[in-house]
Amino acid sequence: MTDAGANWLDILLTFTRLGLISFGGANLAEIERVLVGQRQWITPGTLASGFALGQVMPGPNMLAMTHYGFAAGGWAGAAAATLGFYGPTALLSAAAALAWRRLLGWKWLPTIRSALLPFGGGVLLAGVLVLARGSVQNVAGAVIAAAAFALLTRTRVNPALVVIGAAALGALIGL
Amino acid sequence: MSAPTAPPPAPPEDAPHHPPAPVPVTPTHADLLRVFAGVAMVGIGGGLPAHMRRAVLGRAWMTELDFAESYTLAQLTPGPNAVNLAAMIGARLRGWPGALWAVVGVLTPGLIAMLAVTVVTLGLPGGLPAPLQSALRGAACAALAVMLTAALPVLRVVGGLRGGWPLALATFAGIGLLRLDLLPVLGVVVGAGLILHRPRPQEQP
Repeated sequence: MTDAGANWLDILLTFTRLGLISFGGANLAEIERVLVGQRQWITPGTLASGFALGQVMPGPNMLAMTHYGFAAGGWAGAAAATLGFYGPTALLSAAAALAWRRLLGWKWLPTIRSALLPFGGGVLLAGVLVLARGSVQNVAGAVIAAAAFALLTRTRVNPALVVIGAAALGALIGL
Repeated sequence: MSAPTAPPPAPPEDAPHHPPAPVPVTPTHADLLRVFAGVAMVGIGGGLPAHMRRAVLGRAWMTELDFAESYTLAQLTPGPNAVNLAAMIGARLRGWPGALWAVVGVLTPGLIAMLAVTVVTLGLPGGLPAPLQSALRGAACAALAVMLTAALPVLRVVGGLRGGWPLALATFAGIGLLRLDLLPVLGVVVGAGLILHRPRPQEQP
């Protein structure tokens, strides 16, 4: 466990911000900058292992946020992180769905989509870089990552199985 | 993986016939909770939107077009896409309470599992035993590959957009390499994108 535990309200607001500024997928670069660098609530190792755990959990793979919240402030931290990360964006989505009929003919809608997509793509790439820094620490790790990538792009194997297989391999070779 | 809750309801099985004219069926709140929890459990490792599509179309809760509209909109709103999509489907079917029950459903199985594992891995007094640490490092390397494969379809679409690659690479450099604050980068990149793609009267939509 880290220190005595951060204030749950602080955790709630921090994770709310992280949820609202992620477009098109996990904004891991910003999550790392804030949680590891600025707040020092988690270590780079916790960031990487929490993300990996999220991949083998049922449901959305950003459940890592619950893991990070627990590391930052115990049970209250886990609750605050989950509520903050998922709550406001879900509210926004529900509101957008209810307003959809009015949004449908809006001429700026495709414009906003085309403007957000390159940003989302760049953010995803930055997340890959951050995750690589936290998880690939030697040649064996790089080989596992490359083999997993080849498997995932060439076959239709379930990603959760690939992650579990890599975990077994990591334990065997003492990565 | 230990699954403490009931086995997932198999979504497509209870709709074996294709109804000639799909009669819209309105689910109850309990239906939404149950079906989305089931979707979460069959969706280990991703593919949640595909599972949701099967579940809601198979029950005639929605038409293909309704789903495609919700899916597009879920890409536009910030936050985790799969949860956004659940909120949107729930909202379309049963308004605000529907959104709440769909989100609770899709999150609950994973939350239970994640909290159980988290308490064990973070709570051990002397830290994790060495083999478990090695296993998590191996898993993290594979998770990196998962993340990269998830980025590829987005990058393909980005490559087809006017100014897509320069703006994506500028975002990558600003956030990933220079570690700039996100909001200024968002402002500049999305601002440039809005100008590049602003609606023009002579263009067909």
